[in-house]
Amino acid sequence: MTVATSDVVIETTARSRQLSIRQTIAMAKRSTVELARQPALIAPSMFFPIFFAVLSASSFSKTTAIPGFPKVESFMQFTLASTIVQGVLFGSVTGAAALATDIENGFFDRLLLAPTTRTGILLGRLAGSALFGLFQSAFFLAVLVPFDAPITAGIPGALVMVLSGGIVSLAIGAIMSSVAIRTGSAEAVQGAFPLLFVLLFFSSAFFPRETMSGAYKRIADINPISYLVEGLRALVLEGLTFSAVVRALLVPTVICLAAILFALKELNRKLAAL
Amino acid sequence: MNTFASSSADPIIAQNLVRYFGDVKAVDGINITVKTGEIFGFLGPNGAGKSTAVRMLTTLLRPTSGTATVAGFDVAKHPDEVRRRIGVALQDAAIDPLMTGTELLRLQAVLYGIPQAQMKNRASELLERVGLTAAADRRVGTYSGGMRRRLDLALALIHQPTVLFLDEPTTGLDPMSRMSLWEEVRRLNNEGTTVMLTTQYLEEADQLADRIAIIDAGKIVREGKPQDLKAGVGFPTLLITVPSDQTERAKAVLATFGDMRPTAEGSLGVGLRGGANVVTDVVRKLDEASVRVQHLEVNEPSLDDVFAEATGHRLEGAKA
Repeated sequence: MTVATSDVVIETTARSRQLSIRQTIAMAKRSTVELARQPALIAPSMFFPIFFAVLSASSFSKTTAIPGFPKVESFMQFTLASTIVQGVLFGSVTGAAALATDIENGFFDRLLLAPTTRTGILLGRLAGSALFGLFQSAFFLAVLVPFDAPITAGIPGALVMVLSGGIVSLAIGAIMSSVAIRTGSAEAVQGAFPLLFVLLFFSSAFFPRETMSGAYKRIADINPISYLVEGLRALVLEGLTFSAVVRALLVPTVICLAAILFALKELNRKLAAL
Repeated sequence: MNTFASSSADPIIAQNLVRYFGDVKAVDGINITVKTGEIFGFLGPNGAGKSTAVRMLTTLLRPTSGTATVAGFDVAKHPDEVRRRIGVALQDAAIDPLMTGTELLRLQAVLYGIPQAQMKNRASELLERVGLTAAADRRVGTYSGGMRRRLDLALALIHQPTVLFLDEPTTGLDPMSRMSLWEEVRRLNNEGTTVMLTTQYLEEADQLADRIAIIDAGKIVREGKPQDLKAGVGFPTLLITVPSDQTERAKAVLATFGDMRPTAEGSLGVGLRGGANVVTDVVRKLDEASVRVQHLEVNEPSLDDVFAEATGHRLEGAKA
């Protein structure tokens, strides 16, 4: 069906699915353009993980000899996966903070005033985060792999890692978007970020779980970030095995779906409360 | 192409609309009917409930009770149908400062389902209409307040709505930008768009609105054509300023010429029963009572007088 308001024709129900996709793409484009136009905001999420990778590679190079440490060519090779996860954690928070800013400054109302699917508003924003996550992952690999950090799975493995980075970004973006929707405050989203960082440190991002003991190991064992990192790490260290690909994609996909469902639930709760 | 049958109903009808925020009753049973082709002014001070009422009429808030139809559709039952037919420029012109004018118009076009083929022309047409063609490819963050408001208006018009809601469209604008926006609102109205305008500016309501409703503390306290409402107040208002130690004597004198009216702090006002002709008598009596008049003015009834008469106080910032 179409609605004619004077000479402007509006697509409605007949092609509503196509229209929803078009709207979601337009929202994703906006989200990406916004990020690209704030270099000062995205620079830390691009360079801090690299700085940290270089620092830890030089500081912890001898730890690779600890019993239980997997066979690696360098600590840089070991930390490649955690650099990607760390980077997309940073980047996803930026996207979620932008959603909170939209809510704070009223732009979200403008979106709600349009006859769009509410899901599309959120998915568009998340798709922007995912695209940025893909870009970050490719950037980290391009910069770090030449420094004694080869990917055993080769180029196909690198592509899976980039894809996985995008999915992780989508998952973290969805989790942080839930905070944005619930609080409507960019400060609250930024404030929640240290929690993610703590989770990262209490995971197997920087050392293998096999070398841990006590409470630290117990936390790392139940920490989902451990599994996100280990999935990616399997491609770097084990090669392009079925198990490595599944772990690199399945774990983030499951977390991602759960996080998106939760974020959509938060959005519906917010809209129902209006 | 199918089209929805146009409704014969008035474009905006609100009946006993109520909205609570917790225990606070922000809108208290308002009834509004806006006729096709009208500019309807919703006048009231900050916090009176104007924006809450508009948010309910534009589907952004659910009414706690009561019903409203906009463009022929119930706002609670068919919000998407309402959204397709209305244009809304909200208070503060919430526009993404990182995007350009063109980009925002194209995004808005997609959100309203305007086909790709029409999108480009429609965006250019609207940018030209609001005088932003030269700034179209600049980021909105570099726009002045007036330019943002004009872009906001263009965004609200992307789908050629039949009903346009403008929530305090000129707040914070300089006089030139305000006049330019008024001109555009008049032009749109002349082209057949029904406009509901909320404002806290008396002059704006007086200049633009065919009919107005005055809202205070969530309730509509007066409704009608501005000239009728002003005529209803009747007498002109005499405003005087006197030294503070002579206020009581001055009040006693003024009360003999009519009913005292609310004024801004520091001045006294009376509705002159005998009209402007008795001003010299008032001055003479004040002089006889040894009251030194520092400032005197006679104002024909204004919407502020209507507001003051209805509520017992004057609009914030209004000249008394």
